[in-house]
Amino acid sequence: MHHAAPANHTVDESQHGSGPIVWAAIIATTCLLLFFFQKILWLVVPFLLALILYYFLYPSMQALIYRGMSREAAASIVTLGFLGLLSVIGVGLAPWVTSHIAGWQDIVIGYVQGGLQLLDSSLRALEATWGPLARAHLADTVAGRLTQGAGSVTDHLEPIVVGIMAWAPSLMLAPFLAFFFLRDGRRFQRFLGGAVPNAFFEKTLYLLNEIDRTSRAYFQGLIKLTVLDTLTLAAGLWLLGIPGPFALGLICAVLAWIPYVGSIIGGLLVVLVAATDFPDAPAMAYWAVARFGRVRLLDDFVYMPLTIGKSLALHPLVTVLMIFVGGAVAGVSGLMLVLPVLGVVMVIGETIGVIVTDPRLMARHRHALALRREQASADL
Amino acid sequence: MVNLFRPRKTSPRLERLRNLSLFVNLTAAELQIVDGLLHERDYLAGEVIFDEGEEGQAIYIVASGEVLISRQEQVDAGRAAQAEANGSAAIHPRRRQWDTGRLAQLGPGTFFGELALLDNTPRSAQARAASACQLIVFFRDDFVGLLDTHARIASKISRELARHLGARMRDLAPAAGAHQHL
Repeated sequence: MHHAAPANHTVDESQHGSGPIVWAAIIATTCLLLFFFQKILWLVVPFLLALILYYFLYPSMQALIYRGMSREAAASIVTLGFLGLLSVIGVGLAPWVTSHIAGWQDIVIGYVQGGLQLLDSSLRALEATWGPLARAHLADTVAGRLTQGAGSVTDHLEPIVVGIMAWAPSLMLAPFLAFFFLRDGRRFQRFLGGAVPNAFFEKTLYLLNEIDRTSRAYFQGLIKLTVLDTLTLAAGLWLLGIPGPFALGLICAVLAWIPYVGSIIGGLLVVLVAATDFPDAPAMAYWAVARFGRVRLLDDFVYMPLTIGKSLALHPLVTVLMIFVGGAVAGVSGLMLVLPVLGVVMVIGETIGVIVTDPRLMARHRHALALRREQASADL
Repeated sequence: MVNLFRPRKTSPRLERLRNLSLFVNLTAAELQIVDGLLHERDYLAGEVIFDEGEEGQAIYIVASGEVLISRQEQVDAGRAAQAEANGSAAIHPRRRQWDTGRLAQLGPGTFFGELALLDNTPRSAQARAASACQLIVFFRDDFVGLLDTHARIASKISRELARHLGARMRDLAPAAGAHQHL
């Protein structure tokens, strides 16, 4: 068989960098996926939680395999161990929860009323300063509308509790999925690799590893972001003398996994706590909101691009813009999913771009196909 | 529970891996970890495995069949200069002549492309299946991951790799010495 002498095929990244067409395709695919994912959130959210769990449990499973255990047994033991730990924590907390559960509704109502009182006193203070607002009876109007439109707090608590109950079975999927990721992840990667033609194999394998690296970096970035947010906010709230600054900081940091919307909910939480615990000092609530706002700005425009954006090797401007695009396309779920989806689509898109624009790889693939056809028809 | 940690019976697949020079010092448990990182590929005679100048991402181990390693060698600079002086068409850079130099033919148990495990410099030669062959592929990123997670396994593989490279240098040294005398 004649083998043409190949030219020098050094990979020159500058020649194969992603152009505007590849990037347009990446952004379009990301938007399309986000739109699709918001329809199957019941699967996407447990899938994301399962991925976090997978990266959390993976080192323990590797340690067991290294000690001579099979992958299947190690995956089972690690998952069961995690579930066991959850059960122990649940059982440990059960007495405390049962003793407080009766009072929870009162606590929530108390905090909401504290927030409403703050709003009322703020509006009355504004009315005292500006005559037109007093003539418009702003405080009375707002209070009337809130009572009329919002109804009682218990009316709102019920759907939230029902919503949590409805989501619980779907969230139970997370450890189940994580177990199969741990047990069969490698097999799946091999299965995918096996479907790739020889000519593209090295590049594709590189792609799969990049996706793994990107996912790992994203979730590790998320954990770093949560720690940074918690510490910054806890320090700020502690300086103001607000009770439970660390717990409040942690809750707000976890809520901040949902960009912007999570921040708003977290901000409301801080206001409610400050207004209820310091009813005679409305300035405390304003200070808490100001401090919270500063932390959120720091988070959305500095920490997030530096941790998650950096982990995905995204330009900070692209990170911020894509968060807005995600929100516009798929609402809250879009805000939450846009960065991990973009990270994965970006790696796949860039690699496909490199492969299809490499004439030598395409020629090698055609050559391999010709060899296979020749072999298949040899004795015909 | 104790049984879970007992050394497992080695499967024929693990036995085959153990016979490969790169993994010769690994225990059954270590082989099992490495096995999870390896890929198998089948090539037909004449199929290019990788090209010279391509960025290397993986080391290849020959499980069966034969692989031809060859390098393109630019024509002797003197010949090119002479052709240029004669004004022949061959002097045009785009039509420069290349020769294909055969370096080695590798059989089962051997490996090639090992420098890709160390860095991402371009491949120094082309690899092509000399006969229908099955190759085991070990990816650099997996090896780097192994260095972080299982340093003992990675060090054993690195030692075999260093031995292999040392032997190659010893093989090349007399040739280089001879060349100096010529």
